[in-house]
Amino acid sequence: MRRLSAVDAGAAALGLRPGQKATDAMALVPELATEEAEPEADAAALTALADWCVRFSPAVAEDAPDGLFLDIAGVSHLWGGEAAMLGDLQTRLAANGLPFRCAIADTPGAAWALTRFGVDGTVAAPGGQGELIAPLPPQALRLDEPTAAQIERLGLRRVSQLMSIARGPFARRFGRAALTRLDQALGRESEGLSFRRPPNPWFARLAFAEPISAPEDMARVSADVAAKLCARLELEGRGARRFEICFHRLDGKAMPLSIGLALPGHDARRIAKLFAPRLETIDPGFGIEVVTLIAQDVEPISARQARLDTAREATVEEGLAPLVDRLTNRLGEDRVWRAAPVESHVPELAVGRARPLAPPTEARAWDRSTPRPTRLFRRPEPVEAVMALTPDDPPTQFRWRGQVHRVRRAEGPERIGEEWWKGVIEDVRIGHVRDYYRVEDADGGRFWLFRAGLYGDPAAPPQWWMHGVFG
Amino acid sequence: MSDFRGQPSSLAAVRAKIAAIEAHARADCGVLTFGDGRIDGCLPGGGLPLGRWHEIGGVGMEVETAAAPAAFTALMAAPLARQGEVVWVFRRDDLWAPGLAGLGFPPERLIQVCARDEAEALSVMEDALATVGVAAVVGEVEAADLTAGRRLQLACEKRGSTGFLIRRRPFGGNPRREATGSAAATRWRVASAPSEPPPDEFGLGAPRFSVALERCRGGRTGAWLMEAAQAYDLEDTHGTHPLRLVAELGDRQLAPTLPLRRAG
Repeated sequence: MRRLSAVDAGAAALGLRPGQKATDAMALVPELATEEAEPEADAAALTALADWCVRFSPAVAEDAPDGLFLDIAGVSHLWGGEAAMLGDLQTRLAANGLPFRCAIADTPGAAWALTRFGVDGTVAAPGGQGELIAPLPPQALRLDEPTAAQIERLGLRRVSQLMSIARGPFARRFGRAALTRLDQALGRESEGLSFRRPPNPWFARLAFAEPISAPEDMARVSADVAAKLCARLELEGRGARRFEICFHRLDGKAMPLSIGLALPGHDARRIAKLFAPRLETIDPGFGIEVVTLIAQDVEPISARQARLDTAREATVEEGLAPLVDRLTNRLGEDRVWRAAPVESHVPELAVGRARPLAPPTEARAWDRSTPRPTRLFRRPEPVEAVMALTPDDPPTQFRWRGQVHRVRRAEGPERIGEEWWKGVIEDVRIGHVRDYYRVEDADGGRFWLFRAGLYGDPAAPPQWWMHGVFG
Repeated sequence: MSDFRGQPSSLAAVRAKIAAIEAHARADCGVLTFGDGRIDGCLPGGGLPLGRWHEIGGVGMEVETAAAPAAFTALMAAPLARQGEVVWVFRRDDLWAPGLAGLGFPPERLIQVCARDEAEALSVMEDALATVGVAAVVGEVEAADLTAGRRLQLACEKRGSTGFLIRRRPFGGNPRREATGSAAATRWRVASAPSEPPPDEFGLGAPRFSVALERCRGGRTGAWLMEAAQAYDLEDTHGTHPLRLVAELGDRQLAPTLPLRRAG
């Protein structure tokens, strides 16, 4: 059965409502224009709107399907008060042609109630939300269907009536959840919102009287906003590993850009320099009116004193860290690494990737006395025409990449089994072993090849593979 | 100019003059000696010049896998890795740190960078060479033309770090025409050579390489058989060069220089 999922203001005026059968609606209003509901597109649009709202506050939580919570604690002074901030939000939303309702209150619950059932644009005074939501209907408390129906049946029409019931009987009659909702609305219980990005006190924002679009202007404002945030970071002796700059365009699109640092830092010039080469990827459109910068992974940094005795030796901060930053931001984080030992017998698992300047791991270093190849192929390559004197002997001749190699000297086998304790016990087979041989051909080429499987297993005959070359 | 060849002192003077012109702004960064006169004698200043860049190529299939050049380069750069970081730039990510550790190269001083293309690999090399705290940079690229080579040289001179350029076609195919000229200080060609374990031992001996010095600015060319004597050995032998010269190779030597015949 097809039902209406949403109606606009005109349709609502004609008496249509969401949840109505489509056939009934068509009977009422024959000229009704309908569109297929697209829940995914709606969710995406809500997410985009949440990103746009970052210009007002870094803490934006989505309230699917059609709401947004903005935590404006500590940011409203930038607009000169909550009312002015709300006015700015209303103007901008209206300019974008979005139908909306909004309200400001101490708690998310009260704001939700006032937005949906109160007067549009209400700004509740601190602590004054109780009086404002008292005359609203009980649905304003975000109750679930059965509870709301029960309250309706009991003839309770106002939140004030619910507020006058003693807590014990209230919880018994309508359930714990309903009481929680009431407490959340009145601020007696805190409510956790899942913000789109975690609330972050390290946030700086610059708004411009005239929209900017010239590349050099963008470079300058990114330096300015970085200086603004870094001054605060420096004051508190902190540095951040990640900075995310966001350019808010006139048409409501937010263009983010982020950089990472190898060591936490608060050097505004360096950060601006890392942003600079990537600013050209930002399309300013008709202009950029607001730029925001968020610092993430903020940690205290101890200002290290320059040591006098090693004046000639370069410190990591001045040489290596900027290099690693330049490379990771240009190539991507997964393209610059330091090999770190991982305790595993399986060759391809024995090397992990660590951040270039991360402290060394606890894992035991590789055993230097067992020969290992200089180059290890990510996927072992098949070796054909292997000849061996007896099954467990090293090969005397093999063909790899179309070339026949005659083995002059060989070492092995070194048996490496699967890590059965890591997988599902049913998948473990005795035949899941590799016998590695280190061989040298007549020309001196040194190879690392292995035989997978065991002889005498008709289902899976052993197969030879080339896993690496020593050179 | 009556008898130019007959006066070694004036020849040396001219050589010194040319060297002074070539290195007009270049600080002398010293050399890394191999510890064997037979090879150090061929190199200008008695060792591998630092603050320059060196080209290392492979033979046959090694043009693609470049395992022997990589092992040889790691052995040459191992003494430098004790002074600072080593940045290794490549396009194909198959360098394996446990292998380098076995050869005696400290893997904790190695930063690996995977570039997307040739130009990026060269520019990362350049960037790393000009950085404080980087002792050596190894790059695996197909070829560096004269401009790229000159840029690498300028980057080397900034901080006195040493570059090693391994010529490699990472993804097979026909090798590109080798660049004729090059700004490299030295050019080497390295191939694996059969190892010789002690007579009473079983298996493989220490890795051996047949090494040809094909080009050397201000020095002579030569060919040698070298051995990584300390490979897979837990004993710490600081001080000695990890490569040991086993023998001079005659067959790779260029045609013997004949005395010039006087014209007229």
